[in-house]
Amino acid sequence: MALNYTKISKNTSLQNRIVQDPSFGIIALLLFAIILMTILEPSFATSGNVTNIVNAMMTVSFLALGMTIVLIAGGLDLSVGSTMAVTAGVAGKFISYGIDMKVAFICALAIGTGIGVINGLLVTKLGIPDFIATLAMLGIGQGVILLWTQGVPILDYMNETYYYIGGLKKIVGPISIPMIVVVVVSIALAIILKRTKFGLNLYAVGSSPFSARNSGVNVDLIKISAYAISGFLAAIAGIHIAGRTTTIPPLIGKGYEISAIAAAVIGGASLLGGKGRVIGALIGALTLTLTRNIINLVGIESSWQAIVTGSVLVGAVLANRASGEFGKKLNRRIRT
Amino acid sequence: MEDKVRIEKDVEVSRRSILRTSALVGAGIGAAQIFGTTPVAALGGTTNATLDKAIKEIVKGKTIKVGFTPPVLSENFTQIESAAWRKMAEFEKRFGVKWVWERQAPVGDFNAVQGTLGIVQSWISRKFDAIAVCTGANFATVQDLYKTANSKGLKVFQFNQPAELYPEDQLQTVANIGYDNRWQSGYLAGKYVAKTLGGKGNILQIWGPSGSDWTRGRRIGFDKALKEHPGIKVLGEADGGYVRDKGFTAAQDLLTKYPNVNAIYGENEEMALGASQAIDAAGLKHWNGKTGIVTIGADGLVSGFKAIAAGKLTATVDIGGIDQGQNLIEAIFADVALGQTLTQIINNPTQVVDKTNYKWHQAYAEWALATPRKYGK
Amino acid sequence: MRNQSKFSKFIAIEGIVILIAFVLMLIFFSIQAESFLDQDSIRYYINEAVPIFVITVGLTFVIIAGGIDLSIGSVLGLSAGTSLMVSMWGWPVWMAIIVGLLTGLSFGLLNAVIITVFKVNDFIVTLGTLYIASGALTVLTDNIQLVGTQDENFLKISDIEFLGITSAIWMALIIAIVLELVLVKTSFGRRIFATGIGETPALIAGISTQKTKFGAYLMSGGLAGFGGVILASHLNSVQSGLAGGYELTAIASAVLGGVSLAGGRGSVWRAILGVLFLTTLNQGLLLMGIDPLIFQIVTGLCILVGVVVDRGVYKFALTRSIETSPTVSVFLGGKKVKSWR
Repeated sequence: MALNYTKISKNTSLQNRIVQDPSFGIIALLLFAIILMTILEPSFATSGNVTNIVNAMMTVSFLALGMTIVLIAGGLDLSVGSTMAVTAGVAGKFISYGIDMKVAFICALAIGTGIGVINGLLVTKLGIPDFIATLAMLGIGQGVILLWTQGVPILDYMNETYYYIGGLKKIVGPISIPMIVVVVVSIALAIILKRTKFGLNLYAVGSSPFSARNSGVNVDLIKISAYAISGFLAAIAGIHIAGRTTTIPPLIGKGYEISAIAAAVIGGASLLGGKGRVIGALIGALTLTLTRNIINLVGIESSWQAIVTGSVLVGAVLANRASGEFGKKLNRRIRT
Repeated sequence: MEDKVRIEKDVEVSRRSILRTSALVGAGIGAAQIFGTTPVAALGGTTNATLDKAIKEIVKGKTIKVGFTPPVLSENFTQIESAAWRKMAEFEKRFGVKWVWERQAPVGDFNAVQGTLGIVQSWISRKFDAIAVCTGANFATVQDLYKTANSKGLKVFQFNQPAELYPEDQLQTVANIGYDNRWQSGYLAGKYVAKTLGGKGNILQIWGPSGSDWTRGRRIGFDKALKEHPGIKVLGEADGGYVRDKGFTAAQDLLTKYPNVNAIYGENEEMALGASQAIDAAGLKHWNGKTGIVTIGADGLVSGFKAIAAGKLTATVDIGGIDQGQNLIEAIFADVALGQTLTQIINNPTQVVDKTNYKWHQAYAEWALATPRKYGK
Repeated sequence: MRNQSKFSKFIAIEGIVILIAFVLMLIFFSIQAESFLDQDSIRYYINEAVPIFVITVGLTFVIIAGGIDLSIGSVLGLSAGTSLMVSMWGWPVWMAIIVGLLTGLSFGLLNAVIITVFKVNDFIVTLGTLYIASGALTVLTDNIQLVGTQDENFLKISDIEFLGITSAIWMALIIAIVLELVLVKTSFGRRIFATGIGETPALIAGISTQKTKFGAYLMSGGLAGFGGVILASHLNSVQSGLAGGYELTAIASAVLGGVSLAGGRGSVWRAILGVLFLTTLNQGLLLMGIDPLIFQIVTGLCILVGVVVDRGVYKFALTRSIETSPTVSVFLGGKKVKSWR
């Protein structure tokens, strides 16, 4: 009897864990799309296409990871797109000036982090709503990069190493440097979120800033750090995309903030704060990239793209919502 | 029905523009001797001291206030602007005309139409002499504003716009300095691909955002070329949003599905260069004169010419940006300072540029770009 | 209440600071920018801004109720497209207006249902519908060239002059005044505030917060539809991407006018003042011939400063006027840690 019982409970718990996973809805949707495409489109499930998808999702992944951290802490960062453009510009311009690559990258990362810290200070110390503060920062960043370049794309910075950083040249087989960086960053962030006090505090600040403050958490510092991480990751994205596109048009980051938010939310982060996972951000980035890939492969007329993208977005959050409800119901049924 | 009418009009317009380009009359104002002809003037030019003096007497050191608004800041429009400065400096020296130049680009993408309208309106209020506009706004949106400008005595010029798509009798502009999109960009690109591939092959197309007049014009031209070469098949097309990384991703996706294509057309050069990168990334070969994938774009950017030199881009269509910039200034000068009547549509020569002839195109563009930044802020 | 100086009484009037800033800016531009006071130029830029005025009014309701609506810009564009399309088909002008309104209302309804019935986050839902509406406009303009109706009456919607002011501006004014009254004087308005201040207390007080929000989104959509009709009538041509980004201007204006993104605070006239401030700033800088790239930066800084000042004054005013209530002043003295809802 006892043995039997444990077996059942194990079973249900595995089932539970799958169904109750916050991203169950979207994963189911993704799997469905992938299976459907594999059947319908012979070129979809090829190694070449898979590599393409993975390479194309790198930029959004970095931004979505940073966005997830900010969202967990109850913030919002609309400036990541222009931060990415500015840092890409810094990296590219500095290298073209003949400055050492490492120095250029360190400058780019420092500037990205700096923008993040400023965002954090604006939101916490001056009490400006995050939407407005980062929106203003988005405008300022875009203005700066446009003024600096006068609209002319930045050229002449590509070198052998940069082709690897951009993922245009692979190290071993299909593995490229950005993939490794994404994996390393993801693992690091996952450890920070799950295993460190800072990670716990992020969730605490996001879900209830007042009780976090009451229990002695330095709310402002946590929030500023979250924005700084987002700025830092935006800089990594900037350095990466400069290598991927081999020239930097000044409007390179346009619209990426929206993709980043969409990816994070699709992956289960909540704009109300206190929720979000590293794996979710990656799932979200994959969803967006896959949508675009499928549109191109199936040959959906380009004028329909925005409608498809919008529907996927709404559909994905609805799916998450539905699976959440379903999981709750299941939970209740099992308990009774 | 509508298409048919348009195509018939095509023929008429192109015939006119061929006459004009064959005569190589600069601004189409019968003043070739005065201004020299671009690019011929640039390469040597002949000036006449008596003539210069006579014009100087009429100009009397007049100051012409010009507003210049491109739809977005980009390499293409920087080249056009630099070319305009070249001509301004030349005229200032020869005829004693003074220039006030203000460039304002709406912030945003090609669709930031409201921004352009606001900018033009502010120049009307500030009583500029001439306004040069290039905008993603469709024809009808801007005509009322141009009418207002005309009624206040301002002269409106458009550049780099597919004026041939518009009903000419309704155009409210003094002149449209451009090139013929269908014949000399989309059509030329299609023809070049067909010729290079020997009339048979499979191609991919990367287009700009749907709904823009440029895309519409170039599509008409490319389709026309395809009709003449039934052996060329379009396997797939995608939206590259006029930018490189989207063009890259789109080309990459299409190449996965159709790895054995023979050519990729990027509606502008940025996207063609993105496609070229996708070829590299997929481990495919660029066109080497016999095999590989042909890539062709349109614009005539220095970065494009460099890519051609490096063998990364097979060809591009130079849409005559440098000539446009210079002819724009010639037209403004002829109209505002001399009071001449201009042809309404002034088209500039376009040409397919590949390995055989990129050098002089590149040199010409770089000559324009090397203008001292005297007029810009 | 007892120790209030005249100054703190004055400064405590909501919106007074932005009003002062606005007047100062007007004076500055009148001196610095040539032809800033030119009648045509004023009429032109105000006319251009009418659609933004209209959507900002609807947005104000949504924000005060504690929500956000990002879709209004592209819904406005789409409504402009549909109303111009049917007018080009030869439908009478009132039908064109209804079609535009219905387009907006249907998107308002879609937002409202998903947000209040399925309880999905408003930001992401309206972002999705933003894409859908702008995509629908792209598809529409791809198939039909929306370049002008023959119907003179349709063009007159926005262009009848009355007392030297165009009908578009009159309509915006009427909408603003009526809806300000609705917000302040009706029970619907009070429910909007209550919902925004706190859903739980509102529910306890017997207010159906979901119904209230439903109404707010519906209204926002409807007003976007009407704004679209005005824009279509004004431009007599619609193309893809029209009015994209209006939502950000509207949100920034509302916040600049002191509408709190946390919900529960704001008013229509101050939001309108916010729009006036931003559009006038834009116009003034344009007339001064400043590179738009720079004034993107200037606008960003203005918004930041504006919000900081507004918050500072609000806090100052409240602490002064409610000194007798220690709990509240402790709460207000402490920093607000969670600004996004």
